[in-house]
Amino acid sequence: MVEELLFFMEVLVGGLLAGTMYSLVALGFVLIFKASATFNFSQGAMVFFSVLAFVGFMQDFNIPFVLAFILAALLMVVVGLCTERFVLRPLMNASEDTVLMATIGLGYVLEGLAQAAWGVEVRRLDLGIGDFPVPWIADNLKLFISALDITAGLVAAIMIIGLFLLFKYTKIGLGLRAVADDAGAASSIGIPLKHIMLLVWSAAGVVALVAGCMWGARAGVQFALVDLALKALPVLIIGGFSSIPGAIIGGLIIGAVEKVLEVYIGPFFGGAIEGWAPYVLAIFFLLYRPEGLFGEKIIRRV
Amino acid sequence: MSTSTNILSIKNIEVTYDNVILALHDVSLKVPKGKVVALLGANGAGKSTTLKAVSTMLASERGKVTKGTIEYDGTSIEKQNPSQMVGLGMVQVLEGRRCFGHLTVEENIIAGAYSRKLSKGDINQELEKIYTYFIRLKERRKSQAAFTSGGEQQMIAVARAMMAKPKMLLLDEPTMGLAPQLVAEIFNIVKELNQKEGVSILLAEQNTNVALKNSDYGYIIETGRVMLDGTAQSLLSNDQVKELYLGISKKGRKNFRDVLKEESLTKKKIN
Repeated sequence: MVEELLFFMEVLVGGLLAGTMYSLVALGFVLIFKASATFNFSQGAMVFFSVLAFVGFMQDFNIPFVLAFILAALLMVVVGLCTERFVLRPLMNASEDTVLMATIGLGYVLEGLAQAAWGVEVRRLDLGIGDFPVPWIADNLKLFISALDITAGLVAAIMIIGLFLLFKYTKIGLGLRAVADDAGAASSIGIPLKHIMLLVWSAAGVVALVAGCMWGARAGVQFALVDLALKALPVLIIGGFSSIPGAIIGGLIIGAVEKVLEVYIGPFFGGAIEGWAPYVLAIFFLLYRPEGLFGEKIIRRV
Repeated sequence: MSTSTNILSIKNIEVTYDNVILALHDVSLKVPKGKVVALLGANGAGKSTTLKAVSTMLASERGKVTKGTIEYDGTSIEKQNPSQMVGLGMVQVLEGRRCFGHLTVEENIIAGAYSRKLSKGDINQELEKIYTYFIRLKERRKSQAAFTSGGEQQMIAVARAMMAKPKMLLLDEPTMGLAPQLVAEIFNIVKELNQKEGVSILLAEQNTNVALKNSDYGYIIETGRVMLDGTAQSLLSNDQVKELYLGISKKGRKNFRDVLKEESLTKKKIN
Protein backbone atom coordinates (compact mmCIF):
# COMPACT_ATOMS: atom_id res chain seq x y z
CA MET A 1 0.00 0.00 0.00
CA VAL A 2 2.75 2.42 1.03
CA GLU A 3 4.68 1.41 -2.04
CA GLU A 4 1.72 2.26 -4.26
CA LEU A 5 1.17 5.57 -2.57
CA LEU A 6 4.80 6.47 -2.96
CA PHE A 7 4.64 5.54 -6.62
CA PHE A 8 1.58 7.70 -7.10
CA MET A 9 3.28 10.60 -5.33
CA GLU A 10 6.27 10.18 -7.57
CA VAL A 11 4.15 10.23 -10.69
CA LEU A 12 2.24 13.26 -9.41
CA VAL A 13 5.26 15.28 -8.35
CA GLY A 14 7.07 14.36 -11.54
CA GLY A 15 4.03 15.48 -13.51
CA LEU A 16 3.69 18.74 -11.59
CA LEU A 17 7.32 19.60 -12.13
CA ALA A 18 7.16 18.67 -15.82
CA GLY A 19 4.10 20.90 -15.88
CA THR A 20 6.15 23.91 -14.87
CA MET A 21 7.98 23.46 -18.18
CA TYR A 22 4.63 23.92 -19.93
CA SER A 23 3.96 26.90 -17.69
CA LEU A 24 7.19 28.52 -18.84
CA VAL A 25 6.14 28.25 -22.46
CA ALA A 26 2.60 29.40 -21.67
CA LEU A 27 3.94 32.50 -19.91
CA GLY A 28 5.25 33.86 -23.19
CA PHE A 29 1.82 33.47 -24.76
CA VAL A 30 0.12 35.20 -21.84
CA LEU A 31 2.42 38.23 -22.02
CA ILE A 32 1.55 38.89 -25.63
CA PHE A 33 -2.11 38.03 -25.23
CA LYS A 34 -2.39 40.58 -22.44
CA ALA A 35 -1.08 43.42 -24.55
CA SER A 36 -2.29 42.61 -28.08
CA ALA A 37 -5.25 40.33 -27.38
CA THR A 38 -3.71 37.95 -29.89
CA PHE A 39 -2.67 34.34 -29.59
CA ASN A 40 0.93 34.48 -30.72
CA PHE A 41 1.38 31.46 -32.95
CA SER A 42 5.04 32.30 -33.37
CA GLN A 43 5.81 31.71 -29.68
CA GLY A 44 6.92 28.12 -30.44
CA ALA A 45 9.19 29.38 -33.19
CA MET A 46 10.56 32.00 -30.78
CA VAL A 47 11.43 29.23 -28.31
CA PHE A 48 13.21 27.31 -31.06
CA PHE A 49 14.89 30.38 -32.52
CA SER A 50 16.17 31.71 -29.21
CA VAL A 51 17.56 28.49 -27.78
CA LEU A 52 19.11 27.48 -31.10
CA ALA A 53 20.86 30.83 -31.25
CA PHE A 54 22.00 30.36 -27.65
CA VAL A 55 23.44 26.91 -28.37
CA GLY A 56 24.85 28.14 -31.66
CA PHE A 57 26.72 30.98 -29.96
CA MET A 58 28.25 28.51 -27.52
CA GLN A 59 29.10 25.70 -29.90
CA ASP A 60 29.97 27.48 -33.12
CA PHE A 61 31.64 30.56 -31.70
CA ASN A 62 32.91 29.17 -28.40
CA ILE A 63 31.30 31.99 -26.48
CA PRO A 64 31.06 31.24 -22.76
CA PHE A 65 27.72 30.18 -21.28
CA VAL A 66 26.67 33.38 -19.54
CA LEU A 67 27.74 35.67 -22.37
CA ALA A 68 25.97 33.46 -24.91
CA PHE A 69 22.81 33.63 -22.83
CA ILE A 70 22.99 37.41 -22.66
CA LEU A 71 23.62 37.61 -26.41
CA ALA A 72 20.65 35.34 -27.11
CA ALA A 73 18.47 37.48 -24.83
CA LEU A 74 19.62 40.62 -26.66
CA LEU A 75 18.87 38.92 -29.94
CA MET A 76 15.32 38.31 -28.74
CA VAL A 77 15.01 42.02 -27.92
CA VAL A 78 16.07 42.74 -31.51
CA VAL A 79 13.45 40.26 -32.72
CA GLY A 80 10.88 42.10 -30.58
CA LEU A 81 12.02 45.40 -32.06
CA CYS A 82 11.70 44.13 -35.63
CA THR A 83 8.33 42.54 -34.90
CA GLU A 84 7.00 45.82 -33.55
CA ARG A 85 8.39 47.83 -36.45
CA PHE A 86 7.66 45.54 -39.40
CA VAL A 87 4.67 43.48 -38.30
CA LEU A 88 2.68 45.20 -35.58
CA ARG A 89 3.01 48.84 -36.54
CA PRO A 90 1.79 48.41 -40.13
CA LEU A 91 -1.11 46.34 -38.76
CA MET A 92 -1.99 48.83 -36.05
CA ASN A 93 -5.60 49.27 -37.12
CA ALA A 94 -6.09 45.78 -38.42
CA SER A 95 -8.43 43.32 -36.75
CA GLU A 96 -7.18 40.83 -34.17
CA ASP A 97 -7.60 38.03 -36.70
CA THR A 98 -5.20 39.73 -39.09
CA VAL A 99 -2.60 40.05 -36.37
CA LEU A 100 -3.13 36.39 -35.51
CA MET A 101 -2.42 35.39 -39.11
CA ALA A 102 0.63 37.62 -39.10
CA THR A 103 2.02 35.77 -36.07
CA ILE A 104 1.70 32.49 -37.99
CA GLY A 105 3.76 34.03 -40.78
CA LEU A 106 6.25 35.42 -38.30
CA GLY A 107 6.64 31.89 -36.91
CA TYR A 108 7.66 30.52 -40.31
CA VAL A 109 10.12 33.36 -40.81
CA LEU A 110 11.77 32.68 -37.45
CA GLU A 111 11.92 28.91 -38.04
CA GLY A 112 13.48 29.47 -41.44
CA LEU A 113 15.98 32.03 -40.18
CA ALA A 114 17.03 29.82 -37.30
CA GLN A 115 17.67 26.84 -39.52
CA ALA A 116 19.38 28.89 -42.19
CA ALA A 117 21.75 30.33 -39.62
CA TRP A 118 22.46 27.32 -37.45
CA GLY A 119 21.61 24.25 -39.51
CA VAL A 120 19.00 21.56 -39.02
CA GLU A 121 20.68 18.90 -36.90
CA VAL A 122 19.62 18.24 -33.31
CA ARG A 123 22.01 19.90 -30.85
CA ARG A 124 22.73 18.98 -27.31
CA LEU A 125 22.37 21.62 -24.65
CA ASP A 126 24.21 20.99 -21.40
CA LEU A 127 23.12 23.29 -18.62
CA GLY A 128 25.24 21.43 -16.11
CA ILE A 129 22.06 20.15 -14.47
CA GLY A 130 21.45 16.45 -14.86
CA ASP A 131 18.12 15.06 -15.99
CA PHE A 132 18.27 12.26 -13.41
CA PRO A 133 16.88 11.76 -9.90
CA VAL A 134 18.42 13.80 -7.13
CA PRO A 135 20.12 11.28 -4.80
CA TRP A 136 19.33 13.20 -1.60
CA ILE A 137 15.58 13.23 -2.31
CA ALA A 138 15.65 9.63 -3.48
CA ASP A 139 17.36 8.53 -0.26
CA ASN A 140 15.33 10.56 2.21
CA LEU A 141 11.88 10.80 0.68
CA LYS A 142 12.02 7.73 -1.52
CA LEU A 143 10.88 9.83 -4.47
CA PHE A 144 12.72 9.85 -7.76
CA ILE A 145 12.62 13.42 -9.00
CA SER A 146 14.82 14.85 -11.73
CA ALA A 147 17.14 17.72 -10.89
CA LEU A 148 16.19 19.39 -14.16
CA ASP A 149 12.51 19.29 -13.20
CA ILE A 150 13.28 20.92 -9.87
CA THR A 151 15.34 23.59 -11.58
CA ALA A 152 12.56 24.25 -14.07
CA GLY A 153 10.14 24.60 -11.17
CA LEU A 154 12.38 27.10 -9.41
CA VAL A 155 13.03 29.10 -12.57
CA ALA A 156 9.33 29.20 -13.33
CA ALA A 157 8.58 30.38 -9.79
CA ILE A 158 11.15 33.18 -10.04
CA MET A 159 9.84 34.35 -13.39
CA ILE A 160 6.24 34.34 -12.21
CA ILE A 161 7.06 36.37 -9.13
CA GLY A 162 9.13 38.76 -11.20
CA LEU A 163 6.43 39.27 -13.81
CA PHE A 164 3.73 39.59 -11.18
CA LEU A 165 5.67 42.36 -9.44
CA LEU A 166 6.36 44.04 -12.77
CA PHE A 167 2.69 44.07 -13.75
CA LYS A 168 1.30 45.05 -10.39
CA TYR A 169 3.72 47.60 -9.01
CA THR A 170 5.65 49.31 -11.80
CA LYS A 171 4.67 52.18 -14.01
CA ILE A 172 5.36 50.20 -17.15
CA GLY A 173 3.21 47.37 -15.76
CA LEU A 174 0.33 49.78 -15.25
CA GLY A 175 0.77 51.02 -18.80
CA LEU A 176 0.78 47.47 -20.03
CA ARG A 177 -2.45 46.60 -18.26
CA ALA A 178 -4.02 49.81 -19.52
CA VAL A 179 -3.09 48.97 -23.11
CA ALA A 180 -4.44 45.45 -22.62
CA ASP A 181 -7.80 46.89 -21.55
CA ASP A 182 -8.22 49.62 -24.16
CA ALA A 183 -5.34 50.51 -26.45
CA GLY A 184 -7.15 53.53 -27.90
CA ALA A 185 -7.88 55.07 -24.52
CA ALA A 186 -4.33 54.31 -23.40
CA SER A 187 -2.90 56.20 -26.33
CA SER A 188 -5.31 59.10 -25.72
CA ILE A 189 -3.69 59.74 -22.34
CA GLY A 190 -0.20 59.52 -23.74
CA ILE A 191 0.84 55.93 -23.08
CA PRO A 192 3.15 55.16 -26.02
CA LEU A 193 1.87 51.93 -27.57
CA LYS A 194 5.15 51.48 -29.41
CA HIS A 195 7.19 51.14 -26.24
CA ILE A 196 4.67 48.84 -24.61
CA MET A 197 4.59 46.50 -27.60
CA LEU A 198 8.35 46.47 -27.81
CA LEU A 199 8.61 45.64 -24.13
CA VAL A 200 6.06 42.87 -24.30
CA TRP A 201 7.56 41.17 -27.32
CA SER A 202 11.05 41.40 -25.91
CA ALA A 203 9.91 40.00 -22.59
CA ALA A 204 8.10 37.19 -24.39
CA GLY A 205 11.33 36.52 -26.32
CA VAL A 206 13.39 36.23 -23.16
CA VAL A 207 10.75 34.00 -21.56
CA ALA A 208 10.90 31.87 -24.72
CA LEU A 209 14.67 31.61 -24.34
CA VAL A 210 14.37 30.41 -20.75
CA ALA A 211 11.68 27.90 -21.66
CA GLY A 212 13.79 26.78 -24.60
CA CYS A 213 16.80 26.17 -22.35
CA MET A 214 14.76 23.90 -20.10
CA TRP A 215 13.20 21.96 -22.94
CA GLY A 216 16.42 21.88 -24.93
CA ALA A 217 18.30 20.41 -22.00
CA ARG A 218 15.74 17.63 -21.77
CA ALA A 219 14.89 16.81 -25.36
CA GLY A 220 17.72 18.32 -27.34
CA VAL A 221 17.55 21.56 -29.27
CA GLN A 222 15.55 20.58 -32.30
CA PHE A 223 12.72 21.58 -34.56
CA ALA A 224 10.21 19.56 -32.52
CA LEU A 225 10.37 22.35 -29.90
CA VAL A 226 8.08 24.38 -32.15
CA ASP A 227 5.28 21.83 -31.87
CA LEU A 228 5.97 21.15 -28.25
CA ALA A 229 5.23 24.78 -27.55
CA LEU A 230 1.71 24.24 -28.81
CA LYS A 231 1.14 22.14 -25.68
CA ALA A 232 0.77 25.56 -24.13
CA LEU A 233 -2.61 25.83 -25.85
CA PRO A 234 -4.48 23.47 -23.48
CA VAL A 235 -2.53 25.04 -20.62
CA LEU A 236 -3.88 28.44 -21.58
CA ILE A 237 -7.41 27.20 -22.15
CA ILE A 238 -7.43 25.76 -18.65
CA GLY A 239 -5.58 28.58 -16.94
CA GLY A 240 -7.02 31.49 -18.89
CA PHE A 241 -5.30 33.34 -21.71
CA SER A 242 -4.74 36.57 -19.87
CA SER A 243 -3.61 35.31 -16.50
CA ILE A 244 -0.05 34.74 -15.38
CA PRO A 245 -1.06 32.65 -12.35
CA GLY A 246 -3.39 30.85 -14.77
CA ALA A 247 -0.47 29.86 -16.97
CA ILE A 248 1.29 28.38 -13.97
CA ILE A 249 -1.69 26.50 -12.51
CA GLY A 250 -2.74 25.40 -16.01
CA GLY A 251 0.74 24.02 -16.64
CA LEU A 252 0.76 22.18 -13.34
CA ILE A 253 -2.67 20.67 -14.01
CA ILE A 254 -1.72 19.57 -17.51
CA GLY A 255 1.59 18.13 -16.32
CA ALA A 256 0.04 16.23 -13.43
CA VAL A 257 -3.02 15.01 -15.31
CA GLU A 258 -1.13 13.76 -18.32
CA LYS A 259 1.41 11.84 -16.26
CA VAL A 260 -1.17 10.31 -13.91
CA LEU A 261 -3.45 9.36 -16.80
CA GLU A 262 -0.54 7.97 -18.76
CA VAL A 263 0.50 5.70 -15.91
CA TYR A 264 -2.91 4.56 -14.70
CA ILE A 265 -5.19 4.71 -17.69
CA GLY A 266 -2.66 4.71 -20.51
CA PRO A 267 -2.29 0.91 -20.61
CA PHE A 268 -5.97 0.52 -21.50
CA PHE A 269 -5.46 2.63 -24.60
CA GLY A 270 -2.17 1.04 -25.50
CA GLY A 271 -0.18 3.92 -23.97
CA ALA A 272 0.93 7.28 -25.30
CA ILE A 273 -2.17 9.14 -24.19
CA GLU A 274 0.08 11.92 -22.89
CA GLY A 275 -0.07 13.42 -26.35
CA TRP A 276 -3.82 13.94 -26.50
CA ALA A 277 -5.19 13.75 -22.96
CA PRO A 278 -4.49 17.47 -22.29
CA TYR A 279 -6.54 18.44 -25.32
CA VAL A 280 -9.50 16.36 -24.11
CA LEU A 281 -9.31 18.19 -20.80
CA ALA A 282 -9.12 21.48 -22.70
CA ILE A 283 -12.31 20.63 -24.58
CA PHE A 284 -14.16 20.12 -21.30
CA PHE A 285 -12.95 23.50 -20.14
CA LEU A 286 -14.06 25.13 -23.37
CA LEU A 287 -17.50 23.63 -22.87
CA TYR A 288 -18.00 24.49 -19.22
CA ARG A 289 -15.63 27.31 -18.34
CA PRO A 290 -14.45 29.03 -21.50
CA GLU A 291 -12.60 31.85 -19.74
CA GLY A 292 -10.42 29.30 -17.95
CA LEU A 293 -9.73 29.12 -14.25
CA PHE A 294 -8.16 32.54 -13.89
CA GLY A 295 -9.00 34.30 -17.14
CA GLU A 296 -10.54 37.71 -16.95
CA LYS A 297 -14.26 37.43 -17.18
CA ILE A 298 -15.70 39.57 -19.87
CA ILE A 299 -17.21 42.35 -17.83
CA ARG A 300 -20.30 43.93 -19.24
CA ARG A 301 -22.47 46.33 -17.35
CA VAL A 302 -26.17 45.83 -17.86
CA MET B 1 -8.10 88.74 -31.87
CA SER B 2 -4.38 88.07 -32.14
CA THR B 3 -3.24 84.47 -32.48
CA SER B 4 -1.48 84.39 -29.14
CA THR B 5 -4.74 84.59 -27.24
CA ASN B 6 -6.02 81.47 -28.97
CA ILE B 7 -4.70 78.21 -27.63
CA LEU B 8 -6.23 76.40 -30.58
CA SER B 9 -7.10 77.59 -34.02
CA ILE B 10 -8.45 75.38 -36.76
CA LYS B 11 -8.53 76.85 -40.25
CA ASN B 12 -10.65 75.38 -43.02
CA ILE B 13 -9.90 71.74 -42.38
CA GLU B 14 -11.18 68.91 -44.51
CA VAL B 15 -10.99 65.35 -43.19
CA THR B 16 -11.36 62.10 -45.08
CA TYR B 17 -11.52 58.54 -43.81
CA ASP B 18 -9.97 55.70 -45.83
CA ASN B 19 -9.11 58.29 -48.50
CA VAL B 20 -12.71 58.34 -49.74
CA ILE B 21 -15.22 59.22 -47.06
CA LEU B 22 -15.37 62.95 -46.62
CA ALA B 23 -16.25 63.57 -42.98
CA LEU B 24 -15.45 67.27 -42.63
CA HIS B 25 -15.84 69.72 -45.50
CA ASP B 26 -14.77 72.99 -44.07
CA VAL B 27 -14.43 73.55 -40.35
CA SER B 28 -12.77 76.57 -38.78
CA LEU B 29 -12.84 77.36 -35.13
CA LYS B 30 -10.89 79.02 -32.37
CA VAL B 31 -10.52 78.29 -28.70
CA PRO B 32 -9.28 81.31 -26.71
CA LYS B 33 -6.95 80.55 -23.82
CA GLY B 34 -8.78 79.68 -20.64
CA LYS B 35 -12.23 79.55 -22.25
CA VAL B 36 -14.82 76.83 -22.73
CA VAL B 37 -15.96 76.35 -26.30
CA ALA B 38 -18.85 74.09 -27.24
CA LEU B 39 -19.04 72.21 -30.50
CA LEU B 40 -22.66 71.36 -31.14
CA GLY B 41 -24.47 69.29 -33.68
CA ALA B 42 -26.40 66.08 -34.29
CA ASN B 43 -25.05 62.56 -34.69
CA GLY B 44 -22.65 62.31 -37.59
CA ALA B 45 -22.26 66.07 -37.94
CA GLY B 46 -18.49 65.77 -37.48
CA LYS B 47 -17.96 66.75 -33.84
CA SER B 48 -15.91 63.70 -32.91
CA THR B 49 -13.95 63.89 -36.13
CA THR B 50 -13.03 67.51 -35.42
CA LEU B 51 -11.80 66.60 -31.92
CA LYS B 52 -9.83 63.64 -33.20
CA ALA B 53 -8.24 65.78 -35.89
CA VAL B 54 -7.02 68.08 -33.12
CA SER B 55 -5.70 65.31 -30.85
CA THR B 56 -4.20 63.50 -33.87
CA MET B 57 -6.13 60.37 -32.92
CA LEU B 58 -7.50 60.33 -36.48
CA ALA B 59 -4.54 58.40 -37.79
CA SER B 60 -5.45 55.34 -35.77
CA GLU B 61 -8.85 55.31 -37.47
CA ARG B 62 -7.46 55.73 -40.96
CA GLY B 63 -8.58 59.32 -41.05
CA LYS B 64 -6.51 62.19 -42.41
CA VAL B 65 -6.63 65.97 -42.49
CA THR B 66 -6.48 66.60 -46.23
CA LYS B 67 -6.83 70.39 -46.27
CA GLY B 68 -6.45 73.27 -43.87
CA THR B 69 -4.31 73.77 -40.79
CA ILE B 70 -4.56 73.16 -37.08
CA GLU B 71 -2.46 75.25 -34.76
CA TYR B 72 -2.13 74.45 -31.09
CA ASP B 73 -0.26 76.78 -28.76
CA GLY B 74 1.38 78.53 -31.68
CA THR B 75 2.64 75.46 -33.56
CA SER B 76 1.22 73.22 -36.24
CA ILE B 77 0.18 69.77 -35.04
CA GLU B 78 0.64 68.17 -38.43
CA LYS B 79 3.58 65.94 -37.57
CA GLN B 80 2.56 65.04 -34.02
CA ASN B 81 1.20 61.78 -32.63
CA PRO B 82 -1.24 61.38 -29.73
CA SER B 83 1.41 60.78 -27.08
CA GLN B 84 3.35 63.84 -28.25
CA MET B 85 0.16 65.88 -28.06
CA VAL B 86 -0.33 64.74 -24.48
CA GLY B 87 3.22 65.83 -23.83
CA LEU B 88 2.34 69.25 -25.22
CA GLY B 89 -0.59 69.48 -22.81
CA MET B 90 -3.53 68.50 -24.98
CA VAL B 91 -5.58 65.53 -23.79
CA GLN B 92 -8.72 64.10 -25.32
CA VAL B 93 -11.42 62.37 -23.31
CA LEU B 94 -12.82 59.94 -25.82
CA GLU B 95 -16.48 59.40 -26.51
CA GLY B 96 -17.98 56.59 -24.44
CA ARG B 97 -15.63 57.20 -21.46
CA ARG B 98 -13.37 54.24 -22.26
CA CYS B 99 -12.14 53.43 -18.75
CA PHE B 100 -9.71 50.61 -18.18
CA GLY B 101 -12.32 48.18 -16.89
CA HIS B 102 -10.07 45.70 -15.15
CA LEU B 103 -8.08 48.38 -13.35
CA THR B 104 -9.25 50.00 -10.14
CA VAL B 105 -10.56 53.55 -10.16
CA GLU B 106 -7.32 54.81 -8.67
CA GLU B 107 -5.14 52.86 -11.11
CA ASN B 108 -7.16 54.38 -13.94
CA ILE B 109 -6.47 57.87 -12.67
CA ILE B 110 -2.79 57.20 -12.01
CA ALA B 111 -2.44 55.85 -15.55
CA GLY B 112 -3.28 59.37 -16.69
CA ALA B 113 0.05 60.56 -15.30
CA TYR B 114 1.97 58.07 -17.45
CA SER B 115 3.41 60.72 -19.72
CA ARG B 116 4.82 62.70 -16.79
CA LYS B 117 7.93 61.80 -14.88
CA LEU B 118 6.64 61.90 -11.33
CA SER B 119 7.80 60.30 -8.12
CA LYS B 120 5.41 58.22 -6.01
CA GLY B 121 5.01 61.14 -3.62
CA ASP B 122 4.22 63.57 -6.43
CA ILE B 123 1.63 61.18 -7.83
CA ASN B 124 -0.09 60.89 -4.46
CA GLN B 125 -0.10 64.65 -4.12
CA GLU B 126 -1.64 65.03 -7.59
CA LEU B 127 -4.17 62.34 -6.76
CA GLU B 128 -5.31 64.15 -3.65
CA LYS B 129 -5.72 67.33 -5.67
CA ILE B 130 -7.76 65.51 -8.30
CA TYR B 131 -9.95 63.94 -5.62
CA THR B 132 -10.92 67.39 -4.39
CA TYR B 133 -12.77 67.82 -7.68
CA PHE B 134 -14.04 64.25 -7.87
CA ILE B 135 -15.05 63.52 -4.29
CA ARG B 136 -17.20 60.61 -5.35
CA LEU B 137 -14.21 58.84 -6.94
CA LYS B 138 -12.24 58.98 -3.73
CA GLU B 139 -14.87 56.85 -2.03
CA ARG B 140 -14.68 54.31 -4.83
CA ARG B 141 -10.92 54.40 -5.37
CA LYS B 142 -10.46 50.66 -4.79
CA SER B 143 -13.38 49.45 -6.96
CA GLN B 144 -12.83 47.92 -10.34
CA ALA B 145 -13.68 50.60 -12.90
CA ALA B 146 -15.92 48.34 -14.96
CA PHE B 147 -18.30 48.02 -12.03
CA THR B 148 -18.79 51.75 -11.45
CA SER B 149 -21.77 53.68 -12.78
CA GLY B 150 -21.84 55.57 -16.06
CA GLY B 151 -21.47 58.93 -14.31
CA GLU B 152 -18.55 57.67 -12.26
CA GLN B 153 -16.89 56.29 -15.37
CA GLN B 154 -17.18 59.70 -17.01
CA MET B 155 -15.59 61.25 -13.94
CA ILE B 156 -12.79 58.65 -14.08
CA ALA B 157 -12.17 59.54 -17.72
CA VAL B 158 -11.95 63.27 -16.97
CA ALA B 159 -9.89 62.74 -13.81
CA ARG B 160 -7.53 60.47 -15.74
CA ALA B 161 -7.06 63.14 -18.39
CA MET B 162 -6.44 65.80 -15.72
CA MET B 163 -3.58 63.73 -14.29
CA ALA B 164 -1.63 64.51 -17.46
CA LYS B 165 -1.73 68.18 -16.38
CA PRO B 166 -3.29 69.40 -19.60
CA LYS B 167 -3.43 72.99 -20.80
CA MET B 168 -6.34 71.99 -22.96
CA LEU B 169 -8.99 69.29 -22.67
CA LEU B 170 -11.05 67.90 -25.51
CA LEU B 171 -14.25 66.38 -24.18
CA ASP B 172 -16.24 64.20 -26.53
CA GLU B 173 -19.88 64.00 -25.42
CA PRO B 174 -19.15 63.92 -21.70
CA THR B 175 -22.82 63.65 -20.75
CA MET B 176 -23.87 60.95 -23.17
CA GLY B 177 -26.47 58.67 -21.61
CA LEU B 178 -26.38 60.30 -18.19
CA ALA B 179 -29.30 61.34 -16.01
CA PRO B 180 -29.94 65.13 -15.87
CA GLN B 181 -28.64 65.41 -12.31
CA LEU B 182 -25.36 63.79 -13.33
CA VAL B 183 -25.14 65.96 -16.43
CA ALA B 184 -25.25 69.00 -14.16
CA GLU B 185 -22.66 67.46 -11.83
CA ILE B 186 -20.26 66.71 -14.69
CA PHE B 187 -20.61 70.22 -16.08
CA ASN B 188 -20.03 71.72 -12.65
CA ILE B 189 -16.77 69.82 -12.39
CA VAL B 190 -15.74 70.82 -15.90
CA LYS B 191 -16.49 74.45 -15.13
CA GLU B 192 -14.53 74.25 -11.89
CA LEU B 193 -11.52 72.69 -13.62
CA ASN B 194 -11.67 75.45 -16.19
CA GLN B 195 -11.77 78.22 -13.60
CA LYS B 196 -9.44 76.88 -10.93
CA GLU B 197 -6.90 75.04 -13.08
CA GLY B 198 -7.12 77.39 -16.05
CA VAL B 199 -7.65 74.54 -18.51
CA SER B 200 -9.03 75.57 -21.88
CA ILE B 201 -11.83 73.29 -22.99
CA LEU B 202 -13.30 72.28 -26.31
CA LEU B 203 -16.32 70.06 -25.80
CA ALA B 204 -18.53 68.26 -28.26
CA GLU B 205 -22.12 67.89 -27.13
CA GLN B 206 -25.57 67.02 -28.33
CA ASN B 207 -26.98 68.40 -25.15
CA THR B 208 -27.15 71.91 -26.62
CA ASN B 209 -28.87 73.72 -23.81
CA VAL B 210 -26.66 72.58 -20.93
CA ALA B 211 -23.52 72.84 -23.05
CA LEU B 212 -24.18 76.46 -24.04
CA LYS B 213 -25.11 77.44 -20.50
CA ASN B 214 -21.68 76.25 -19.38
CA SER B 215 -19.64 77.58 -22.28
CA ASP B 216 -18.26 80.94 -23.40
CA TYR B 217 -18.59 80.38 -27.11
CA GLY B 218 -20.33 77.91 -29.39
CA TYR B 219 -20.06 76.46 -32.87
CA ILE B 220 -22.86 74.56 -34.52
CA ILE B 221 -21.82 72.10 -37.18
CA GLU B 222 -23.94 70.17 -39.61
CA THR B 223 -22.75 67.61 -42.18
CA GLY B 224 -19.12 68.56 -41.74
CA ARG B 225 -19.54 72.34 -41.95
CA VAL B 226 -19.75 75.11 -39.39
CA MET B 227 -23.25 76.51 -39.85
CA LEU B 228 -23.33 79.06 -37.09
CA ASP B 229 -21.12 80.38 -34.36
CA GLY B 230 -21.29 83.01 -31.67
CA THR B 231 -21.03 83.65 -27.97
CA ALA B 232 -22.95 81.15 -25.89
CA GLN B 233 -25.36 83.91 -24.84
CA SER B 234 -26.11 84.94 -28.41
CA LEU B 235 -26.65 81.33 -29.50
CA LEU B 236 -28.97 80.66 -26.59
CA SER B 237 -31.12 83.58 -27.63
CA ASN B 238 -30.86 82.91 -31.36
CA ASP B 239 -34.28 81.98 -32.74
CA GLN B 240 -32.96 79.39 -35.18
CA VAL B 241 -30.95 77.65 -32.50
CA LYS B 242 -33.91 77.79 -30.18
CA GLU B 243 -36.14 76.18 -32.72
CA LEU B 244 -33.78 73.58 -34.16
CA TYR B 245 -31.62 72.61 -31.22
CA LEU B 246 -33.46 73.62 -28.11
CA GLY B 247 -36.99 72.79 -29.26
CA ILE B 248 -38.31 76.13 -28.03
CA SER B 249 -39.88 78.93 -30.00
CA LYS B 250 -41.88 82.00 -29.29
CA LYS B 251 -45.04 80.01 -29.76
CA GLY B 252 -43.89 77.31 -27.36
CA ARG B 253 -42.41 73.87 -27.94
CA LYS B 254 -41.95 72.71 -31.44
CA ASN B 255 -40.17 69.86 -33.21
CA PHE B 256 -37.99 69.77 -36.26
CA ARG B 257 -40.81 68.70 -38.58
CA ASP B 258 -42.89 71.71 -37.66
CA VAL B 259 -40.02 73.98 -38.46
CA LEU B 260 -39.60 72.41 -41.87
CA LYS B 261 -43.32 72.70 -42.55
CA GLU B 262 -43.22 76.34 -41.57
CA GLU B 263 -40.25 76.95 -43.84
CA SER B 264 -41.93 75.37 -46.84
CA LEU B 265 -45.01 77.47 -46.13
CA THR B 266 -43.00 80.69 -46.05
CA LYS B 267 -41.21 79.63 -49.25
CA LYS B 268 -44.58 79.10 -50.93
CA LYS B 269 -45.69 82.50 -49.78
CA ILE B 270 -42.56 84.08 -51.25
CA ASN B 271 -43.08 82.24 -54.52
